[in-house]
Amino acid sequence: MSRATDREFAEAPGSAPIPETHVQPPPSAWRQLWIWLNIGLQSFGGGAATLYLIRREAVERRGWLSDQEYARYWGICQIAPGINILGLVILIGWQLSGAAGAALALAGLLLPSAAITIMLTAVYSQIEQVPLVQSALRGVVPATVGLGLLLAVGMLRPLMSASRKEGRASLAVTWALLVGSVLMVALTSTPVVAVLWGIGGLAALASWQRAVRQRRAQ
Amino acid sequence: MIDAVLFFWLMFKAALFSTSGTGNLPILHQDLLARGWATDRNFAESLAIGQISPGPSGLWVISLGYLLDGLRGALLTLVAITLPPLLVLAINGFYRRHGDHPALQGFVRGLSLAVSGIFFVVLAGIMKTAGWNVANVLIAAGAIGLGATRRVPVLLVLVLAAAVGIWLG
Repeated sequence: MSRATDREFAEAPGSAPIPETHVQPPPSAWRQLWIWLNIGLQSFGGGAATLYLIRREAVERRGWLSDQEYARYWGICQIAPGINILGLVILIGWQLSGAAGAALALAGLLLPSAAITIMLTAVYSQIEQVPLVQSALRGVVPATVGLGLLLAVGMLRPLMSASRKEGRASLAVTWALLVGSVLMVALTSTPVVAVLWGIGGLAALASWQRAVRQRRAQ
Repeated sequence: MIDAVLFFWLMFKAALFSTSGTGNLPILHQDLLARGWATDRNFAESLAIGQISPGPSGLWVISLGYLLDGLRGALLTLVAITLPPLLVLAINGFYRRHGDHPALQGFVRGLSLAVSGIFFVVLAGIMKTAGWNVANVLIAAGAIGLGATRRVPVLLVLVLAAAVGIWLG
């Protein structure tokens, strides 16, 4: 998992064309930190804004990585633990300057935004007991539920449309797994981690089976 | 009194065994509520603060850490959520060899399915605590309507909801 293997991969015959961007020397440590700090400070508006800024800086402005590399990295981050965007900046930072690059990327992205999050929460917990804040919260809590619902549906939609394209059987499996996860958590006291990985495992089996059957049919 | 080591472990575990910024929410919801360290309301509060602060929306959990255990909780959480994503470096190598395997793609899909499924349960729990009354359902529906347009900033949605809350008293 060193940069050497990254380069081997990039130059391996038959793989994606070697991106021109590797030719450029990486910017200095301070410069890297500065760029990440800027992304961390500017990205108001949730993950989509952060992702947009990272793409604009790393691909479009600085040419640190190509479109294909960016897409591949983002794909990998979907299966990495924790916040996907942190995984993405770790991969980009690592490609630039190894472990130091990854540390700079994490520090730059996280320090300003984590500090602001902490400050906002500190202010909130100071005024939490004020009656006006209490009644404001009575509106904010259900609104958060609404926004959370949108988030969950947003996560579901691409999964559903992908499985619909694979046919009725795949769509049925997807629905069964979704309903199964809801019922398991709502009605039993199964640990959530077990539900996540259990459903993941079942989906892996189903997807593998489908691929095998398709290969036989051809 | 919250045990710092156990608190760190719960935050770390939730990020390690899930993916995306909110995948840890169902795990934390189960673990923290069971120990009586957090309430449904803490989750709603920290999600709202996370929505209006900059950076990845996954930082809501830092706000949760602060609400439960002050600055110590926030800093423990910050470290706990920074470590698991480092595994991406190992996964990068694995993915290069097996990334197009149907089982791996299926696993990722199943994980996201379960996260969104459990999300519905958690949201229903928060709503139950707040009360399933007409006003709350209408506010939630209004937030969905405004949010679905993608034109209204989240901050504005929350400010409007706060105004409605004050108006209702």
